[in-house]
Amino acid sequence: VNIGNFSARRVSRRSVVAAVAATALALTGCSSGGDDDKPAEKPTGPVTIKVWAWYPEFQGVVDNFNATHTDVKIEWTNAGTGQDQYTKLQTALKAGKGAPDVVMLELQEIPTFALTKHLVDLGKYGANSVKGDYVEWAWKQVSSGEQVYAIPVDAGPMAMMYREDIFSKYGLTVPKTWDEYKQQAEKLKTASAGKSFITDFGANDGGFMSGLFWQAGAQPYTYDLANPTSIGVNVNSAEAKKVIEYWEGMVGAGLADTTAFHTTDFYNGLGSEKYATYLAAGWGPGYIQANAAKSAGKWKVAPLPQWVAGENKQGDWGGSSFAVTDQAKYPDLAAKVAMEIFGAKNTDAWKVGIDKAFLFPTATPVLESDTFKNKQYDFFGGQKVNEVFVPAYNAIGPFAWSPFNSYNFNQLTTNINQAIEKKTSWTAALDTAQENVKTYATQQGFKVQ
Amino acid sequence: MTEVQNSPAVAPAAAGPSVKTGRRSHVREAATGWLFVLPFAVLLVAFLLLPMAYAFKISLYRSTLIEGEVFAFFDNYKQAIDDPLVREGVVRVLIFGLIQTPVMIGVALLAALLIDAATSRFSRFFRLAAFVPYAVPVVIGTLMWGFLYSDSIGPFSGLGIDFVSSDTVLASLGNIVTWQWAGYNMIVLYAALQGLPRETYESARIDGATEVQIALRIKTPMIASALVLATLFTIMGTLQFFTEPLILQPLNPGAITQHYTPNVYAYQQAFSFQQYNYSAAISFLLGAVVFIGSYIFLFATRKRSALR
Repeated sequence: VNIGNFSARRVSRRSVVAAVAATALALTGCSSGGDDDKPAEKPTGPVTIKVWAWYPEFQGVVDNFNATHTDVKIEWTNAGTGQDQYTKLQTALKAGKGAPDVVMLELQEIPTFALTKHLVDLGKYGANSVKGDYVEWAWKQVSSGEQVYAIPVDAGPMAMMYREDIFSKYGLTVPKTWDEYKQQAEKLKTASAGKSFITDFGANDGGFMSGLFWQAGAQPYTYDLANPTSIGVNVNSAEAKKVIEYWEGMVGAGLADTTAFHTTDFYNGLGSEKYATYLAAGWGPGYIQANAAKSAGKWKVAPLPQWVAGENKQGDWGGSSFAVTDQAKYPDLAAKVAMEIFGAKNTDAWKVGIDKAFLFPTATPVLESDTFKNKQYDFFGGQKVNEVFVPAYNAIGPFAWSPFNSYNFNQLTTNINQAIEKKTSWTAALDTAQENVKTYATQQGFKVQ
Repeated sequence: MTEVQNSPAVAPAAAGPSVKTGRRSHVREAATGWLFVLPFAVLLVAFLLLPMAYAFKISLYRSTLIEGEVFAFFDNYKQAIDDPLVREGVVRVLIFGLIQTPVMIGVALLAALLIDAATSRFSRFFRLAAFVPYAVPVVIGTLMWGFLYSDSIGPFSGLGIDFVSSDTVLASLGNIVTWQWAGYNMIVLYAALQGLPRETYESARIDGATEVQIALRIKTPMIASALVLATLFTIMGTLQFFTEPLILQPLNPGAITQHYTPNVYAYQQAFSFQQYNYSAAISFLLGAVVFIGSYIFLFATRKRSALR
């Protein structure tokens, strides 16, 4: 809770009392969230809208929003990153109090929270009017027909980041297909006497593996919130197995490393010469920049290798949105915050988002703007990397998530990690994941197809 | 006393208590007793018994995403007993406890005997140094060891040992636990040693016992009850193994799985999958295992210890 900034705000006495009370209640784990359908009567003066998010540099966006709005004030809390926040959110939603009005949700988590009916349908508050700002696949991630569960913020179209210095040192060429990628990996292994790997396969990241499945055209789940009790489970599809077999071969031949992502050893590998490429998402540049500063200026970005030469198939890894919870007292104002805070027209917010937080925007007007498309990155030796990421983003196809994504990611990561650890078959691990997910879905009461 | 002097009317009654007033004073004594117990009792009920009762209640229900909450009786317990992942975790902590407990108590006892025998300035420093890891929060200590185990920045990275592979990670975790808790157990044993009468050693020395013999034949048996206590805490701690594996999990999730120990599994069920009911059932089963394990140990050592 941003108590520090609080006293500096010029607000009416009444809203101070309300905010103090809200803060105190939030601290003791209870707040007066109304779950009536009708919005409560508005007080005079700005309404405080509580927002949970973990974007870097978000304070600047919040300050800017508050300076330009007189009817609402955002009270921002960083309630943890990813699963940490979801754990708190689930608990607060289950308890019926303590949840924020507006919450950051990663795209893959939306069905999970929408299924339990804790997300307000933003379609009722005019969200369909901003539909045109987003490409089809991105809008599909947050909606079902006219129902809108969240407003997209950022995404993670995948591309291949590579070390230009290592490539020229060992005479590697930039691969266009996964076959070529493997050839370059073999060449690298021999030339560097096994010191460098073509990449690291972080089997601890379900989003990463799902992004690769996505690119290969796999559809692990068939799920629509319009028909919430029925789900198709196809985790071990032929497309997913193709991806998994490929990486099993790469790891088995010692071409790819299996250090867990987001660990010290992984960052050191990126900063040193251990990894020649990193299969990154659109948010990757900022992320790598912060964690492998030693290698600044040596990286370049190329499109993700293709399964079939000449094709343009792409996948997404990560990305997030803003949703409104059923505990919002003023859902119309909360919806307004969700739509505007990183909205297509909010150029000030995106200035911070792009230049400081290195978010990859989902709104087409922002994506296609000169400031984004032609931005040069020193970390990439001045390359305009969005010339790679933006077309990749536009070429992504639709992809459905399950309403129990923690379990889905857990099954993927646990089974593949165990296969790596015990040197057993990865495709068999995928079969195990399929069986476990089917059992779980049946236990949870879904009609499994 | 002053009350009696200031109110003489009460004095006769106090001098010759009738049956009636005697009963009343009993009631008053009992009330006073309860008043003294009250702060503890309130805390016990509010923070232990009520949460336990609540957890037990939810462990009897089953909650699914589609059908909501239904009364399931002991279904969750049945599922937990049949769950191979629970069993794997229980077997792992039992093995861990079997190895960890003697190592821990051995190290702590050795250190306690050494600093008890030597009364130099060095022993005071050693006593403090051995105790310091206990003052480090478990999370911080584990993170620190995570860096020490790293094969890119750790001091042992040149040795070519992977400290977090599935073959080595249990030993690596045991090392952290020993580092963290041996000093604490050492202090418990050392305090017990300090309480022993020194004359016993003197007479042993006169009888020709060496220092080693005194340590093993006199001191160790005499602190048996402290040893039993330290061992009991260690057994309980190892069965409930949780923080260290959870913190080190990101380093190698293939080796430290989400069902690595029963506690880690229960945590994951509750906070990753919202299976609060199943998680409560696993926790209660683990509680039963800890209770039975502790009881067996106390029963086996009942002759040696004062604890019964």
